[in-house]
Amino acid sequence: MKQDTLRAREQRTGWLLVIPALLLLLLVYAYPILRAFGLSLFSQNLGTQLQPEFAGLANYSRMIADGRFWQSIGNTAIFTFSALILELVLGMGIALVLNQTFRGKGLVRTIAILPWALPTAIMALAWTWIFNDQYGILNDILLRLGWIETGINWLGNPTLAMVATIVADVWKTTSFVSILLLAGLQSIPQDLYEAHAIEGATPWQSFRQITLPLIMPQITIAALFRFAQSFGIFDLIQVMTEGGPAGATEMVSLYIYATVRRYLDFGYGAALVVVTFLILIVVVALAAYLIAKLRRSTGVET
Amino acid sequence: MFDSQIGKWRLHFRRFRWYGVAVCCALVILGLNSIAVSQQPITIKVLMSALEATQWQPLVEKFEAQNPDIDLEIIEGPNATNLVEDLYTSSFLLGNSPYDLVYMDIVWTPKFAAAGWLMELSDRISEAQSQDFLAGDLNGGRYQGELYRIPFRSDAGMLYYRQDLLSAAERKPPETTEELIEISQELQAENKIDWGYVWQGKQYEGLAAMFVEILKGFGGFWIDPNTQEVGLDRPEAIAAVSFLRETIESGISPSGVTTYQEEETRRFFQNGKALFLRNWPYVWALANAEDSPVKGKIGLKPMVYAPGHESAACQGGWGLGISKTTQHPDEAWRVIEFITSAATQKKFILETGYVPSRRSLFTDQEIVAKYGHYPQLLEVQESSVLRPPIAQYAQASDILQRYLSAALTDRMTPEKAMAGAATETRNLLGR
Repeated sequence: MKQDTLRAREQRTGWLLVIPALLLLLLVYAYPILRAFGLSLFSQNLGTQLQPEFAGLANYSRMIADGRFWQSIGNTAIFTFSALILELVLGMGIALVLNQTFRGKGLVRTIAILPWALPTAIMALAWTWIFNDQYGILNDILLRLGWIETGINWLGNPTLAMVATIVADVWKTTSFVSILLLAGLQSIPQDLYEAHAIEGATPWQSFRQITLPLIMPQITIAALFRFAQSFGIFDLIQVMTEGGPAGATEMVSLYIYATVRRYLDFGYGAALVVVTFLILIVVVALAAYLIAKLRRSTGVET
Repeated sequence: MFDSQIGKWRLHFRRFRWYGVAVCCALVILGLNSIAVSQQPITIKVLMSALEATQWQPLVEKFEAQNPDIDLEIIEGPNATNLVEDLYTSSFLLGNSPYDLVYMDIVWTPKFAAAGWLMELSDRISEAQSQDFLAGDLNGGRYQGELYRIPFRSDAGMLYYRQDLLSAAERKPPETTEELIEISQELQAENKIDWGYVWQGKQYEGLAAMFVEILKGFGGFWIDPNTQEVGLDRPEAIAAVSFLRETIESGISPSGVTTYQEEETRRFFQNGKALFLRNWPYVWALANAEDSPVKGKIGLKPMVYAPGHESAACQGGWGLGISKTTQHPDEAWRVIEFITSAATQKKFILETGYVPSRRSLFTDQEIVAKYGHYPQLLEVQESSVLRPPIAQYAQASDILQRYLSAALTDRMTPEKAMAGAATETRNLLGR
């Protein structure tokens, strides 16, 4: 009995201590989302003289027939998954190299993180010049090698523009992934490999059976981080293509920006934000579920 | 003793003299200050692209010389039009705009007016005063019947043609779309020219501007601003899209037109590679420059149209409105009166070669002496058609551009594309 009151008191103190942090989180995360959800039920645009008018779910039904929204979701999905897969594969490769002991290791590791440290807008501007059809260095190299006859208009062609933005994003963020994975690799004890090798395992088998399962937590974290960031990509695209040509690289964040800033359609913009937010949550939940299942099936304990 | 008395007075006088000087100084300073305060000129601010700000400089100097009580301050913005619009938009969204005047593109007017950022001007200008302005340009400054913008310099789309080649073939410039196709094919078959007709087919605002001309020329309409009716899926609109596709499919226009903006088409025409060109007035001066291969060989006329209809020119141009939050509406209006007056426009046009917004200037002796084609230009301007003056124009234009581009690049049939554009536009307008 006495113990129970003691525990209850402890719990109360615990809650009291947690409340300030909880309030702060509610204020900066929950409130904006709820506010956006509230706003999405109103029409507040030029048609209503920028005054909010209750519209129920009209904004959501409009979205169903909005081809541009679905196109931007499609573009974002292509961009996110292509970039994610390339970054994980390349990041893993770089991490494995950096994990070796060689002279100048510290220097190489520092250089490898540099792209991540650069401001996106600036590196995007540099890539815009690299891909320039008249003066770009990429076309220059290809012309000198004799692989192409005339300069390719990289950012002017819908498919190539998407490729170009993915390349720029991979260049920048692979180093982030590789540093995360490197941290995971260094936590694996070396004797595991030695024991495995004595039992006659090939390097590939060691990688499959020791490295991969043990750095799964790091891979998951890197993938989730990168997914959330790529899905909301704005600066890179805005600088490189502004969503063009013909909307081929318009990401959902650019569409929301145009809706709110250019069209002054605040209600519909809020509805777009809510739906994008829900899509993000669903995909993250799905990914977490699949990864958990994968872990169970490979028999790795975490 | 007497001496000492005088000495005392002197001392007094000296002391008082300093008081006196101090008091006089104070009075003078106060006086000057109050004069200065009453004569402090009122500052009127307006934002425009850095390029145009330079061109305005002589006008500003002249205005300030005539109106010492107003200080007209031009703030230089980016040269890209959409960035200037963004700057105005953010300044208004944040509340108190620092700009007293708004120098705006014709298509911004409904949006800015609907957002409540502009002052109504109908009471300030009489029917008689507005008579001289081009009707289309003035109407572009109206939103729901109320006037918000006074036109300063105008713009319209038109057809340029190769006078030399048409004369050699003994053909008159085309009136209808059919004649345009026929003449092009004839001269192309005889190897007189590489291509027939170039126009702006890239997905951007210029595509919408080009399309309203063809649409009207086929008797169709985009959005009726009064009834909010959408006409994009009607047979006339589909016929207009089909005509544009036909120009590509029949080999009159290069397939690259779907990636061209104004400048690409101008260079194409100026290098003597096309018989006809759809473009804005600025082309005339460049195509007739000393180093131009087609110098003295070109003519201009109103746009072609489908038989039984009439020609249409997309109305463009810039004008001035007054910001709703300004403290000095009367002074701002005096700036507008000065800038849009016939005398100022004439001076500006003679210097820069822009197109005036007043009808009388197109036939003004001095102007015609310098720009011989302005009387024809007036004919073009009088046939102008507005892009829909609705608040959500930017959105409607983006919808049209997307579907029209899909139809022109053969990703959709004209019927399907226009049906899609019409549906989305109706959703946008809440119909």
